[in-house]
Amino acid sequence: MPATDNQGSFLNRISIRRNQVVSMDGNHEQELEDLELFQKHVADRFADLLSQSEDTLGDGLLSISWLRKLLDVFLCCEAEYKAILLLGRDPSQISKPPLDKLVPEFHDRVVKALDVCNAVSHAVETVRNYQKLAEIAVTALEQRPIGDGQVRRAKKALNSLMILLEEKEGSNHKSTERAWSFGRRSTNATTSSSKDRATSASQFRSLSWSMSRGWSAAKQIQAMSSNLVAPRGGESSSPALPVYIMSTITVFVMWALVAAIPCQERNGLLTHFPVSKQLGWAQSIIALQEKIAEEWKKKKEKNRLAGLLEETQRIEKLGVSLIEFADSFQFPPDADRLEEVAVQVAELGETCKKMEEGLLPLQQQIREVFHRVVRSRTEVLDLLDQGGKATASIM
Amino acid sequence: MENNHHLPDDHTGISPVPGAKDDAEPKLDSEAEEIKNEESQAQESDPHFDLEKASEDIDKFLSSLTSDDVSVEVPEFVEKYLDLVEQKVSGEGRPKWCQVPDEDSAFLESLDRVSKLTKSLRELKPEEEKSESRGSLINRVGGIQQRAMSYLEEEFRFLLEESKTAESESESAEPEAFPGYSDDVVSGLSKIAKQMISGGYESECCQIYIMSRRNAFEESIQRLGFEKYSIDEVQRMSWESLEREIATWIKAFKQCATVYFPGEKTLADRVFSAEFPSISASLFSNLTRGILIQLLNFVEGIAMTKRSAEKLFKFLDIYETLRDTVPAMDGLFQDECENELKTETNTARSRLGEAAIFIFCDLENSIKADTAKTPVPGGAVHPLTRYTMNYLKYACEYKETLEQVFNEHSKIEQIDPTNRPPFEEGSFMNSMDSENENQTPFAVQLMTVMDLLDTNLEGKAKLYKDVALSNIFMMNNGHYILQKIKGSAEIYSVMGDTWCRKRSSDLRQYHKNYQRETWNKLLGCLNHEGLNPVHGKVAKPLLKERFKSFNQMFDEIHRTQSSWVVSGEQLQSELRVSISALVIPAYRSFLGRFSQFLDAGRQTEKYIKFQPEDLENYIDELFDGNPMSTARRKP
Repeated sequence: MPATDNQGSFLNRISIRRNQVVSMDGNHEQELEDLELFQKHVADRFADLLSQSEDTLGDGLLSISWLRKLLDVFLCCEAEYKAILLLGRDPSQISKPPLDKLVPEFHDRVVKALDVCNAVSHAVETVRNYQKLAEIAVTALEQRPIGDGQVRRAKKALNSLMILLEEKEGSNHKSTERAWSFGRRSTNATTSSSKDRATSASQFRSLSWSMSRGWSAAKQIQAMSSNLVAPRGGESSSPALPVYIMSTITVFVMWALVAAIPCQERNGLLTHFPVSKQLGWAQSIIALQEKIAEEWKKKKEKNRLAGLLEETQRIEKLGVSLIEFADSFQFPPDADRLEEVAVQVAELGETCKKMEEGLLPLQQQIREVFHRVVRSRTEVLDLLDQGGKATASIM
Repeated sequence: MENNHHLPDDHTGISPVPGAKDDAEPKLDSEAEEIKNEESQAQESDPHFDLEKASEDIDKFLSSLTSDDVSVEVPEFVEKYLDLVEQKVSGEGRPKWCQVPDEDSAFLESLDRVSKLTKSLRELKPEEEKSESRGSLINRVGGIQQRAMSYLEEEFRFLLEESKTAESESESAEPEAFPGYSDDVVSGLSKIAKQMISGGYESECCQIYIMSRRNAFEESIQRLGFEKYSIDEVQRMSWESLEREIATWIKAFKQCATVYFPGEKTLADRVFSAEFPSISASLFSNLTRGILIQLLNFVEGIAMTKRSAEKLFKFLDIYETLRDTVPAMDGLFQDECENELKTETNTARSRLGEAAIFIFCDLENSIKADTAKTPVPGGAVHPLTRYTMNYLKYACEYKETLEQVFNEHSKIEQIDPTNRPPFEEGSFMNSMDSENENQTPFAVQLMTVMDLLDTNLEGKAKLYKDVALSNIFMMNNGHYILQKIKGSAEIYSVMGDTWCRKRSSDLRQYHKNYQRETWNKLLGCLNHEGLNPVHGKVAKPLLKERFKSFNQMFDEIHRTQSSWVVSGEQLQSELRVSISALVIPAYRSFLGRFSQFLDAGRQTEKYIKFQPEDLENYIDELFDGNPMSTARRKP
């Protein structure tokens, strides 16, 4: 896995730029210039994401490919942030106001983001489960001539899928469990004891790995965003600003992932966290936030929160229609109806293929974000320590 | 699914096996009902005969088909066969799987035939006018197959979840009991899997397998006591709780790598591999990847906790577990997955390694930070010396691991060698540069720490106003350090003979300095100068003065130095012996030579307070760390 791909080049960059900065007198000017550039890059990258979000061909907002791009953006911004924070900076500056408070706060957010990464990564398994169920329907309904057996097979898979996708605020647990037992009961009700076991099983166990007991994605996001305050006045330029920018990006990216991927405990997930509207770089983030929040609210009303991911929405929509088809199916089928269905099945197949190709890379990219964030945190702490050591040895 | 049932008309004219018809005893009036009844009666009385015959026919028909045969007439006995087999593969009223193996085999055989029939019929192109009836035949056979598969799904799930040989809750459970399926069950699973996959129901089969095994695996790992903690939680846990969790983690990780993963692999192989090795490999990888990453996340969380000295050894324990256990997993995974998981474990190990280096190097800071201005009473071993040496001794029990850690993970130096100068300038280590060149980074770090400790101690020695005491302090600490190093083969091998010899000679120097400071002055009182007898007489006042100042000075030394501390009996007695050897002969000779010049009685009593034996006794009381002894003994 290319977890550390960018490390080498980043470090080179740091050392090159450090030399440049050392050779310059106008340290502060350089810093302002860097900060300006950082803001511009952030604005550009998120503007890109905003325009891709309009895509109607399946790669739009909250699609797998959009999320992957979002993670790319995160990684780019993160590298740049780290450069700005560390390069040419006297480490002792990090232990002085305002950074002495902001950097630890950021690191605290980062730790929570790591857990979010893990939860989302586990939950990708859940999405893969949706995909597998949809694939069963595709396999069954692609058969020609189509018969009762295949239709029954497809319907069973799709019904399970629909119940998995039903996620209400506040009733997360139940619906998942029901889906699990539904899967059993829909066939011969032979395993009464295994049902008891499913009841005792914790919330997401049957569909993916779980986080620790009581861990809640919604609460983590809440905690991450709770002290997110834009720097003011004298602090509104370097070095408080890049920390604030990166914090905002981190919260936004983690929030978007949690919204898109049905990870553990999303009850009460924020639909809004404050980002100052005056900030140029934040405009696209604000726009995206509004769009996602809107989707979230829409889905919440329908109690179908599980599927905010574009691909999931798509298989859900197609699934509903194919269940209708299955319900009314009689052999021999009507040829026109069959043609209609064939189109839907093909689309469902396409979507599954997209998931098959995209989910693993997404999962790996989440892992890359994880490793990157850990590494950066360590680097900053190491630098702080060296700063401490340098001072100690001078004394 | 009523529409799936064949109409009785479908097979009028097809005669079931004649014998069956003869045996039947029609009880109903309706002809259709009669036929149906006959059929079921026939199945009850001698199903095997009928089915066997019909099955043979089907097999012949299936084997007669070649891929070129696109338009073959489907014989009528196919419908007949379906009549016979439909009930059989519905699963209704069957015993649980694995209880009657013959029935299981018969079931699978029939289903296999049905599946092949489904497949073949789809591939055959019907003649135009027959397409409708062919369609309904395919519909029927597909329906039968789907029911059978649905039934198999449940049996497969049931076997996976409910037929484990009771896994004991106690820790003494045989590790071989994992995953805990009997051979019969595994072979049952394997047969079902084979049938489901070859019949086109691979997805269902894999989904059930992965979910059941994932749940079972989570339960197994919980049974080991491994609890999940988010990284955030790990940061906020007390070190004591984390220590406990680390111990559990080590156990769980070892168990996974050496028992669970291979067991899971064997299970997947036995259930799928004979014919579907890639399915087996991907299910296994998917399952273990999830577990392994969770286990590694704990390590990442631990490595991120606030670094502090006491954590070093637990970090190294985890490090060693990763290093030593991971090779046990070699060959379990497919290349791609193996690479990813290797990278993951190596990354986690690096994090720990870096943290361990940080902690170990942080010892430098603790030493530098110890700038207390109060000298230790009596020149005893400083707590910093004790702490540092005990820490180092303990650390050196992990010497090989630490050397590896320093070799592999001290990347800070590689990136920027100016960050941390390995040697403090002015330390005596500089004189040994030639030896350093072939030293490991860990050894260099250890030397750095020793040097720093030295420098720090030298500073502390200056806190004593009494130069003799200052030397005793250095001697005590130096001796303690040397003893610790000699007592641990690991540190000794790092520090080396040269270093230790240098240390010993330093100690001798402190000893000499001390003797000079304290005892040479005293010996000055026993100076013969000016006392040479002239005509059998000496300068009595001078002699008296000499005795008097000797007595005073000795008293004073005894008083002060009894409260000094020399730790270690050996050092203490060496010191006393050497003092006695220095002082007593000199005193004895002075006494022998000059006591005669004092008047016996009052004068002698006044000026000769000590007999040589007394001196020896008093010297033996030195360095006891007991200020009271003088007061008690004072004449």
